[in-house]
Amino acid sequence: MTSPTHDPADRDGDVDFEHLIAHLAHLLPSQGPISVFVHHNTLHAFEEQSFHEAVQTAADLYDCHPYLPEPDYRVALKRGRITQQDLEAELYDVLGDEGDRLLGRLGTRHELWMSMLEHPLREGTEAEIRWFIDETEALYRFRPEASDAAREQTIDDTRRWLVRDYFNGIVISPARRQRIDALINQFGGRGAVDSWDDPTWEAFSLHLLWLACEDGATVAEVSSPACEDRHWAQANELVDAAMIRLCAAFLDQGFAPWILPERDRGLLQAFLALHQDALPADSWLARFPARAREIRQQGVAASQLIEQSLVELQIPPAQYEQRLQEQLLSLRGWAGTLWQMETNAEWAPWPAPPGSLVEYVAVRLLLLREAVAAVRRSDATSPATVRETQRQHQANLAFVLFQIAEIRGWSGAELLRQSRDEWMLLTDEATAFPSRMRRRVYHLAYERHYREQSLGAIQQAAARPDPPAGEPAYQVVCCIDDREESFRRHLEEVDPACETLGFAGFFGVAMYYRGLGETHFRPLCPVNVKPRHYIVEEPVYTEATASRRRAAARKALGRAAQGVTFGSRSVLGGLVTGLLGAIATAPLVLRVVAPRLADVLLRGAGRMVRDRRTRLHLETTAPPADGRRDGYTVDEMAAIVGGMLRTTGLPAKWSPLVIICGHGSSSLNNPHAAAYDCGACGGGRGGPNARAFARMANDPRVRAILSERGIAVPPTTVFVGAYHNTCDDSVVYYDLDSLQSGADAAMSRAREAIDEARRRDAHERSRRFESADLNATPERALRHVEGRAADLSQVRSECGHATNALCLVGRRQWSRDLFLDRRAFLTSYDPVFDDEEHSVLANLLAAVIPVCAGINLEYYFSRIDNVGYGCGTKLPHNLTSLLGVVDGAGSDLRTGLPWQMVEIHEPLRILFIIETTAAALKKIMAANPAIERLVVGEWVQLAIIDPAHATIQLYRRGEFVPFESHDAPLPTASASAAWYRGQRDHLGFALIDAAKGHASSGGPR
Amino acid sequence: MTLESAMSIAGVIVVLAPLLLVLAFCTSTLTRWSPSELSSSRLTEASVLTGLLAAAFVFAGMLWGGSRNVEIEVGNWATLHGPTPLDTYHFHFKFVFDRLSVPFALLTFVLVGTVGAFANRYLHREPGFHRFFSMYALFLLGMIVATLAGTVETLFVGWELVGLSSALLVAFFHDRLAPVRNGLRVWTVYRLADAAFLIAAVALHQVHGAGDFAELTGNGVWPDAQASLSPSAALTIGLLVLVAAAGKSGLVPFSEWLPRAMEGPTPSSAVFYGALSVHLGAYLLLRVSPLLALSTPLCVAVVALGLITAAYGAVVARAQTDVKTALAFASLAQVGLITAEIGMGWDYFALVHIIGHASFRTLQLLRAPSVLHDYQSLENALGEALAPTEAGAIASEKRRYWYRFAYLRGQLDGWMNRLIVEPFLSVFRNCRNAEERWLKWLGGPPRETPVDSGADREVAPGEAA
Repeated sequence: MTSPTHDPADRDGDVDFEHLIAHLAHLLPSQGPISVFVHHNTLHAFEEQSFHEAVQTAADLYDCHPYLPEPDYRVALKRGRITQQDLEAELYDVLGDEGDRLLGRLGTRHELWMSMLEHPLREGTEAEIRWFIDETEALYRFRPEASDAAREQTIDDTRRWLVRDYFNGIVISPARRQRIDALINQFGGRGAVDSWDDPTWEAFSLHLLWLACEDGATVAEVSSPACEDRHWAQANELVDAAMIRLCAAFLDQGFAPWILPERDRGLLQAFLALHQDALPADSWLARFPARAREIRQQGVAASQLIEQSLVELQIPPAQYEQRLQEQLLSLRGWAGTLWQMETNAEWAPWPAPPGSLVEYVAVRLLLLREAVAAVRRSDATSPATVRETQRQHQANLAFVLFQIAEIRGWSGAELLRQSRDEWMLLTDEATAFPSRMRRRVYHLAYERHYREQSLGAIQQAAARPDPPAGEPAYQVVCCIDDREESFRRHLEEVDPACETLGFAGFFGVAMYYRGLGETHFRPLCPVNVKPRHYIVEEPVYTEATASRRRAAARKALGRAAQGVTFGSRSVLGGLVTGLLGAIATAPLVLRVVAPRLADVLLRGAGRMVRDRRTRLHLETTAPPADGRRDGYTVDEMAAIVGGMLRTTGLPAKWSPLVIICGHGSSSLNNPHAAAYDCGACGGGRGGPNARAFARMANDPRVRAILSERGIAVPPTTVFVGAYHNTCDDSVVYYDLDSLQSGADAAMSRAREAIDEARRRDAHERSRRFESADLNATPERALRHVEGRAADLSQVRSECGHATNALCLVGRRQWSRDLFLDRRAFLTSYDPVFDDEEHSVLANLLAAVIPVCAGINLEYYFSRIDNVGYGCGTKLPHNLTSLLGVVDGAGSDLRTGLPWQMVEIHEPLRILFIIETTAAALKKIMAANPAIERLVVGEWVQLAIIDPAHATIQLYRRGEFVPFESHDAPLPTASASAAWYRGQRDHLGFALIDAAKGHASSGGPR
Repeated sequence: MTLESAMSIAGVIVVLAPLLLVLAFCTSTLTRWSPSELSSSRLTEASVLTGLLAAAFVFAGMLWGGSRNVEIEVGNWATLHGPTPLDTYHFHFKFVFDRLSVPFALLTFVLVGTVGAFANRYLHREPGFHRFFSMYALFLLGMIVATLAGTVETLFVGWELVGLSSALLVAFFHDRLAPVRNGLRVWTVYRLADAAFLIAAVALHQVHGAGDFAELTGNGVWPDAQASLSPSAALTIGLLVLVAAAGKSGLVPFSEWLPRAMEGPTPSSAVFYGALSVHLGAYLLLRVSPLLALSTPLCVAVVALGLITAAYGAVVARAQTDVKTALAFASLAQVGLITAEIGMGWDYFALVHIIGHASFRTLQLLRAPSVLHDYQSLENALGEALAPTEAGAIASEKRRYWYRFAYLRGQLDGWMNRLIVEPFLSVFRNCRNAEERWLKWLGGPPRETPVDSGADREVAPGEAA
């Protein structure tokens, strides 16, 4: 927890439960309703701690993984994704001078730990280990990982010891001697020793080794036997089942036709009202209705009830905090959503009233009282004893030592010679490097490998000579999103004369937006910004009448659809739809068998009722009323446009056409659709922002103000808004009707290039989809991704931010033509336009670092433990209360990302590479606690680059350390396609150079 | 070749296609060959298409040739001879293509094929992909066998296959506790239904000497057949069949298994509990509809149970907050209505209702993850927020009562647990306790360690030092 100093009890001894629960609530997942999915650090509550501390704390608290499971890293080691050198380097880093410490006669600590890293160490329950020892060849054959040398050494040593020492009567305790004699008898007795063949010696050596390990492990002591209260666990299960249904009914945003009675009076009253005159079938609830009546009559407050329940459950006040925390975390998805709906969702159709979470705890404890009593009545078995726990621990330890000994070539004889103190040291060492610690070293090595490669690649790319200065044919400003990396790269390849830039996809236009034919305003800006401007889309003047007609048609269609949707769930409506239902086979079969065709037909039908020519109501017409504005003033527009131009450095070179390209994603049957949309638009689609920005930038009055402020936009330059759909790779342009005739040529050229770029982008994306043909042409790849977007049965419509690992902040020239494999956020920033104070960079990083870190860490945690931090596989998901998904017939509300989104993600902490100086960045960090916390706490990795000298410095423990590349020269390919063609896996870096490239295909790293 | 023999051959193909698919998947688990996703789905597609075309051919042949009944004999698989003909038992396999079974078989092939194509992409890269399609093939075979069954035994075989594959697919995600528990629950309810069915079959044999529907229903062709049983025998057997149908179709009081069954992947939920499996009970009642015609009390019972279930489903659906459960209860309401229609003797109407409802509900369930998007588009089209009501037109004092009933789903499972399961289990628990006490008395004074706690281990590691 972040503030251990918190004292739940005030001076009177009364506990302020409301305060305590509000304090504990920060441990809950902070995901709101799924319709506005916002990426954030899953462990945001732990950001005060360093990354490694936090993942361990959270792992204990939530019972989740801190890093990937060990076998995954081992596979990476085998594939070369981690090398031996990476591992050695990180182990040296972790151990420091301690690595050279000698462990008796058995080698150094570094060697011991390294051998624990290199080969899998199995662990298990006592029964599993016993089974493994008794039923497999474990005591007859060395494990395959053991080297021949180690094997020989063990057998020779055992043979020498047995014949020379043991038979000649060395000093050994009677108990041991008895066991060893029994072992020899098992192999035919003392007389048969001379006739043992090699396999027998091998078996005997292993038997002796196991005996020694078992024997030695008994010196280890168990620190704290975990003695869990089984009654509580069982009781909690009963309570959980009841709470799932209650929370779903209470928080329902309008799915069920009936509302929970007395919902407006809060969770507690609604719950009591529901139960006060019930006749429960479940025996554990038999006495509850009477109690509910009593509480309702007395009007006991929630916090009082909590106290009463805790007293009745005989919990000492010192444990209050811990027990309440358990209760909150037991269904952390629902509790967290309740808290979000209570504190952070005033815009929702039905936000929860204040105090809901306290009432939730009160209800839980009321139920828990009944459940614990019932479970105690029915169950009398004893929990696991201390002795059992100790036995378990020792069995595991013996087994781990046995496996290490085989690898290191320690013989049983050698181990039997160890003194008790030496054994203590050895077992301490083996337990001091537990699986979690090993995984940490592995993880560091995993990150190091990619970091070394990427920094090396960027250093080499930056060392290229600067491109000749000249006016670009046109410029395209995309979102910084990692999915736009390939789009931009392909565009630059198709038309080298163009320039692309990256800026947060809301383009500075923070607004509530309502499109034509939409009912609600939705915020299109980063979540931490609260927009004040309300912008609507309206039909152009000449279309107003036609638009009204179409709205009426849409409404009629909507009524019909409503009738079918809701009617089919009632008896008579269901009868009608049932009798006519055979008609549904047609759309059913068509949508499943030919999704793309179905989509085309549907769109065609939809076009009849959709408005074609619209405009944004962008400029304010009325004076601002209580903070809410229905448009922007010219001054505000100039500030927005100027801010963007200054940050991106776009004015360094002007071209006749600047395309501002927002993005979003369309997919079907996807409750997580919002998670694929533009993060900078708060999980919305950024098209309207781009359109608004272009309108603003074209306004002569805005340009006049800008030129006063030192940015002279040439009168020949035209801005055009566009929208890139990252799922089907379509691009639409806004307001081309009002394009000035001078820009026609540039526009045609840009459109042609963009059309080719999106085909190639679709092609590159398709290599990641197993169901797409690797040999398809770009044209077919485009059709493939269009089909995916229209497919009801597609659970991976696109890959989203999966594989994101880098964020580059700076001018495009040092990363242009570098193949980044769609793994990098690209943010344009030109130090030339910054002031002495670096205020432009400070503003930029204040948004970019937390946003990219949030996306990256959400993917990290959802990938590391998809069941605990993520929401598991999509296949059984069931949308509930219009709020979120549960598994199947009902479970905790699942937060985080589904497996299908993170499947191909490599969990790495994001590496920022920023074009600035160490002094500037240190100053920015000092001034911005959010950035400092992320960087100093190692939640992100940070490096700075000086492109002029191609030097990179890496932030390590408070200092910027020069980075030296050890890598071979970067490979060159003639085109992106030549590099990725035929490959499904992650790819290494390469320079794309049409002139120089030899058409070699890119191997995996 | 005459039309008759061509239709017979096509009929054999209809049954063989899914059978071969199951065999292919079963043998693959015995060998080291594990089919790829592509071959799994291609095999399924091929089998479904073959079956569908053959069934369509039979259907066309029936329309063309005017034959209303095509029978395929697979012969007696076991014959027990007794002193009288009534004691003789034939285990007789026979398939019948008539106006009831052919449309149902066509529906099965169309839905299984479509949902199979859906699942092929939906389950892409799922570790249990092959397991899913194996179960799915088993389900297809079960449905086809049950649909086309000409004897009670044949129907029972198909019925069991459907039950087995359903329960295993409910528990598809067996790494979590809830699916396994709910799968077990479904399995238990199915067992109860099976027991009723089996007793009905045995009783039928006892009364009649054979399990042929033709024997049972006289010489007519469905639905015009006349049964040749005494009304009292028809009532007993009919009630048993009704219990079997209620278990399989989730009629009251077994209804709560239906939402529990939503644990599997969305496509299996759609095809099983929206479309086919849930209608199998109703299909059974349709199959024995000549029997129903014999006994008015039986018809009353069927209609009553159907209407109660319809009302129950409709009320309970109103308070359900998640889409799959809401659809499950909505389905239930329709299955209740269909049951009532069968009780009324409106056989063709019920058949049309089943087919329409199955198709529509499948589409709805497959689109279940879209519900949020659908609500948004609806709101946009209507230009206003969709608002639920407070228990509709019900007066406020009753409102809470009805809401609670819907919210707790009538506590059907709770009462069943309390009134049936717990007494049942406690009998066995008492027996065990009695046995233990008896053994203790026989064994003399108690020993120090219980027999089953590690006494078989020679040396505990803790004692060796």
